[in-house]
Amino acid sequence: MLIQKKSLAFISSLVAVFAIFFSCKKEESIVETTTSEIETEEADGLYPYKWLTTYAFFDGEISNLNPAEDLIFYKPSSSLFTDYAHKTRFIQFPEGEKAKLVNGEFDFPEGTILVKNFYYPLDFKKQEGERRIIETRLLILEESGWEAYPYIWNDEQTNAQLKVIGGQKEVHFKDLEGKDQVVDYLIPNRNQCKTCHNKNEEMAPIGVQVKHLNNDLDFQDQHGNQLEYWSQIGKLDGFEDPGQYPSLINYENESLPLDERAMAYLDINCSHCHRTEGPASTSGLFLTYNEKDPMKLGINKTPVAAGIGAGSHKFDVVPGKPEESIVIHRMNSTEVGVAMPELGRTTIHKEGVELIRNWIKSLE
Amino acid sequence: MNKPKTLLLTYLSTFLLFACGETSNEQLFDSSLLPKRSIEETEKVIKDFIMAEDGATIEIPEGFYEINTQLILDNKSNVTIKGAGLKNTVLSFRNLKTGGEGVKIVGNNITIEDLTIEDAPGDGIKAQHTDGITFRRINVTWTHGDKSKNGTYAIYPVQCKNVLIEESVASHSRDAGIYVGQSENIVVKNSLAFGNVAGIEIENCDNAEVFGNIARNNAGGILVFNLPGLPKSDGKGTKIYNNQIIDNNHENFATPLGEDPNGNTVTMIPPGSGVILLAAKEVEIYGNEILRNKTTGIAVASYQITGFPSEAPNWSPYTSDVYIHDNQYERKGFPDLTREMGQLISIYNAHGKAKTQDIVYDGIWDESLSESIETNPMNLCISEPKISELLFTRFYLMDGDDNIESFDDPNPFSNCKVSVNTDKSFVSGL
Repeated sequence: MLIQKKSLAFISSLVAVFAIFFSCKKEESIVETTTSEIETEEADGLYPYKWLTTYAFFDGEISNLNPAEDLIFYKPSSSLFTDYAHKTRFIQFPEGEKAKLVNGEFDFPEGTILVKNFYYPLDFKKQEGERRIIETRLLILEESGWEAYPYIWNDEQTNAQLKVIGGQKEVHFKDLEGKDQVVDYLIPNRNQCKTCHNKNEEMAPIGVQVKHLNNDLDFQDQHGNQLEYWSQIGKLDGFEDPGQYPSLINYENESLPLDERAMAYLDINCSHCHRTEGPASTSGLFLTYNEKDPMKLGINKTPVAAGIGAGSHKFDVVPGKPEESIVIHRMNSTEVGVAMPELGRTTIHKEGVELIRNWIKSLE
Repeated sequence: MNKPKTLLLTYLSTFLLFACGETSNEQLFDSSLLPKRSIEETEKVIKDFIMAEDGATIEIPEGFYEINTQLILDNKSNVTIKGAGLKNTVLSFRNLKTGGEGVKIVGNNITIEDLTIEDAPGDGIKAQHTDGITFRRINVTWTHGDKSKNGTYAIYPVQCKNVLIEESVASHSRDAGIYVGQSENIVVKNSLAFGNVAGIEIENCDNAEVFGNIARNNAGGILVFNLPGLPKSDGKGTKIYNNQIIDNNHENFATPLGEDPNGNTVTMIPPGSGVILLAAKEVEIYGNEILRNKTTGIAVASYQITGFPSEAPNWSPYTSDVYIHDNQYERKGFPDLTREMGQLISIYNAHGKAKTQDIVYDGIWDESLSESIETNPMNLCISEPKISELLFTRFYLMDGDDNIESFDDPNPFSNCKVSVNTDKSFVSGL
């Protein structure tokens, strides 16, 4: 089995190398072509690999992202907005090992890998149609903790290469209204990952928290709670009853209460920084789903280091007045220095702005 | 002769001297004359930051580096980042499209020295959660001349411990040039801040010494603030001494021209302010040259004056335990009229309209401590040898706008001392 995987990786990387070699388009700073890369990469278990194919995460043609048997599909109830990019996510446990819950939080075994693919359908109305995969981000739990490795896909969609310094890709797609859109998609450098994936200055997953995964999901042959599923297949210990754990809703579900949707949105999009353990604790603005203190939620709270981000406004959130709230001003901007979140967004998330606007409008 | 002074004098001699100083685009040197580094050379710098191990020295050779991503040093110990000299190694972030700051540092015992950081869209260099951070001979600035596009803070340590900023230069930031926030054990010395809204600011910090610096041509020279609602809820213990705090008459460009102040406190600073204390605790100000700041040399204020909500846990809006002594003052010009606090001073001071003041006190006190401010309940102590030649105003603002009064008598605040304890022994361990 191992040999087979290796040779697959070998062929794929050869294909990739030739593809790059003969590609006319110059992609300086994105993909390097040096002779050393023509050597095959061995799946020796010493992470990170240079090529995504070496991990053998996907069966068949890699661009189909068809998961190998040991990858488990997962999906947080709400998704962090990243310039309308679509994402598919998988988790791979090291063979024979599993996660356990400690004090309500995941404790993963060393060698656990989170695989997140970012792609754009060419036409958003045809979600299953042709697409362009931009990057695959791996979070690998190493002895020293989680490490982030960004892999950038080639234009031929035959492989992706580790690029610690990140990069930039122009992406074209048709949106749901049929309009042509162009996004200047920015791939973070490795250390920028921690701008968001940060808990007390340790790298930490965002979506892979109990509160985001304690929900129902369609699998290949069943529908059910995904953490119960992990338990059933022997990949999670200590998860007894879903009701015992927090469960965030999907903010896109318009049949649910506005305040819960708003808090779910703020939690997944903002609270990785805006919480006690996050880098934006400096601001005193805390946006976790269960925050109740009005001042910490920004209600009639003056900014601290917002600079031009404050616009002409005095407070983070002015109840009933979204147009006077700094939170809306920053969500509704793409200007670096103003735009929030600081990373991963070069376009405005109109639906998100609308949701938070309505929430602020509803506050008294 | 000691070296830092020499260095500062060299800088000073190279400055183009603009007499008016209302706005300035002055630069220490012209970085566009440096050789431009290639993409490969630039990527090496980015990689060096990403791949740095504990104990590493990251050397950045001479040249102009155009960097389109953030330089982040992530949770490393004992790392030195070293350029080839403040005028020789320039990191430009003018093409940065995403990220809150140009350079970000997290770790322990980190030194960054001998380089310039230019044109970061957010903050220039930020250090967070770092125990032991030294900024030495660095210059952080914005060069494009359009101040409305400049970044927030130039040199920005926050939530740090044991912070040393020396022989560094910060200019043209839309907030504070040198801003130390929510930190403890701080020395800012022999540095220069000009053309910023605020020159040097110490905010929600404990145990800070600010000395031997030049803060000139900012809207406000040196500030000690405590803001409400922050994880580090309050701060105390700051000494400001032997600084030159001069000509801080730059326009306040923290908000666009013609726009009112927003929720950032710095937007309220009246141009022409030498030193401002806001909700500050245990501050000693002595031996400074406080010259030609057109609105006031020193302002002592409580947070209520901002008009913002003044309640927060473990925080007091009052400025208390302040000792001002043995400073030199020179009055010149007319107080600012663009900000409310400038108007207050210009119109309501105790010495006559449009007269620059040396020391103003907002006179807001905690009524649970005393019925009268005459008993000096907030413990403000002024001991200036030439007090009779100075213009001192204490306001009465407790009834709001309808009944503003002012008094010129410093006596209730003259016969006392405050002992402010700071300790800069940590510097020897850096």
